[in-house]
Amino acid sequence: MRTLIGILFSLVIALAATSAARAHAFLDHASPLVGSTVASAPHEVVLTFTQSLEPAFSSVEVTDGSGARVDAGKAAVSGSTMQIGLKAIGPGTYRVRWHALSVDTHTTQGSFTFHVGGQ
Amino acid sequence: MFRYPEGPRIFALALLLLPFSFSSALAHCFVGARFFPATLAIDDPCVADELSLPTVSWSKTGDVPSATEWDVSAELSKRITEDLGISIGDTWSQINPPGGPKMAGFSDLETTLQYQLLKNDDHEFAMLLGLIADWGGTGASQSGIGTPYSLLTPTFYFGKGFGDLPEEAGWLRAFAVTGEVGYQFPTTSFDVTTGAFVPQVLAWGASVQYSMPYLKSEIQDLQLPEFINHLIPIVEAQLQTPVANNFGNSPITTGTINPGVIWVGTYFQVGVEATVPVNRASGTGVGCLGQLHLYLDDMFPTTIGQPLLGPAAPPRKPSF
Repeated sequence: MRTLIGILFSLVIALAATSAARAHAFLDHASPLVGSTVASAPHEVVLTFTQSLEPAFSSVEVTDGSGARVDAGKAAVSGSTMQIGLKAIGPGTYRVRWHALSVDTHTTQGSFTFHVGGQ
Repeated sequence: MFRYPEGPRIFALALLLLPFSFSSALAHCFVGARFFPATLAIDDPCVADELSLPTVSWSKTGDVPSATEWDVSAELSKRITEDLGISIGDTWSQINPPGGPKMAGFSDLETTLQYQLLKNDDHEFAMLLGLIADWGGTGASQSGIGTPYSLLTPTFYFGKGFGDLPEEAGWLRAFAVTGEVGYQFPTTSFDVTTGAFVPQVLAWGASVQYSMPYLKSEIQDLQLPEFINHLIPIVEAQLQTPVANNFGNSPITTGTINPGVIWVGTYFQVGVEATVPVNRASGTGVGCLGQLHLYLDDMFPTTIGQPLLGPAAPPRKPSF
């Protein structure tokens, strides 16, 4: 049995090693940090993922407490990073929603909030 | 090469499965922003392309006196279409009764056909239907590890993440639960080899899990060490309750409660759990369970990671 498991495990690892290193794109970190409170309003939101993204199918939006968009429009996607500018925003809670398609066509999505000011 | 007569048969099975490696596997269990890991004792609520190899457990049986049991199993899951999947697996067991002869061999071959009923991204909710078949006569029935009859278990699975709780719930939103309930009935009501009735059994289980990856990416990035950010602490329960045709057998529920942790990586996960018997009939002392689980869809995204029939769902333009 140990021999059999060894054979199968070796096979899988060997095949994995010869495959392109691609997978689901997880959010690795964000600026502002997920769930953080920042003293002054940021000018942009930057999301860094664990895999490279397909720009045409990856996007992000930022909304304020009333649901109104406060981002500058179109996100810039480069490699594993997605970046979007922000309009002038004041103190409050803001939600970032993102969709990502990694270069091997796996889709992921998520959202988080950050806070500006002392809230 | 093999110490047991079933070895060459399983080796042949493995070879039979190899072509899958070169043709086409699943997206593992993402529902919205939630990732449900492959649980060790029960099944997760998604069809998938994945390989559990190996799952190893050690325990003391509920016999009097208790025997020591080792189990080593492997399971391959493969999507046929986007929502329909099949799994095939087998377990090699070694049972050492105190003072008695050692028994070893393969259990009956197990296949599972599963259909994805629902995935609701907004509520992180998934439902799955399955039919588990343990094929009688394919295991070491002479040593009591396999059976001469088959077992069929229609099973319902679900998973629910709590990310849709109000923002005020904070860190509680990283919790999720999964569960399964199945009704197992044998293809015979009486086993002539053991002279005992074969009961119909309610097979049920659940898990409560706390996702550190979800906490980091959806709720609050606490800047914890990366190793911690990949952990999903979990408690699983796996139980069986005889419900019919149980004449002469013990009517009580047996099973284990398994606290443990799963480390989730990009291409694989590793899980370790303690197995705590719920009563004397379920075993004695604390056992252990470990598993290496490979995400075939991420390892082989253009081959095994695709459904066997039909294309995978096309990418969707994001719409907010």
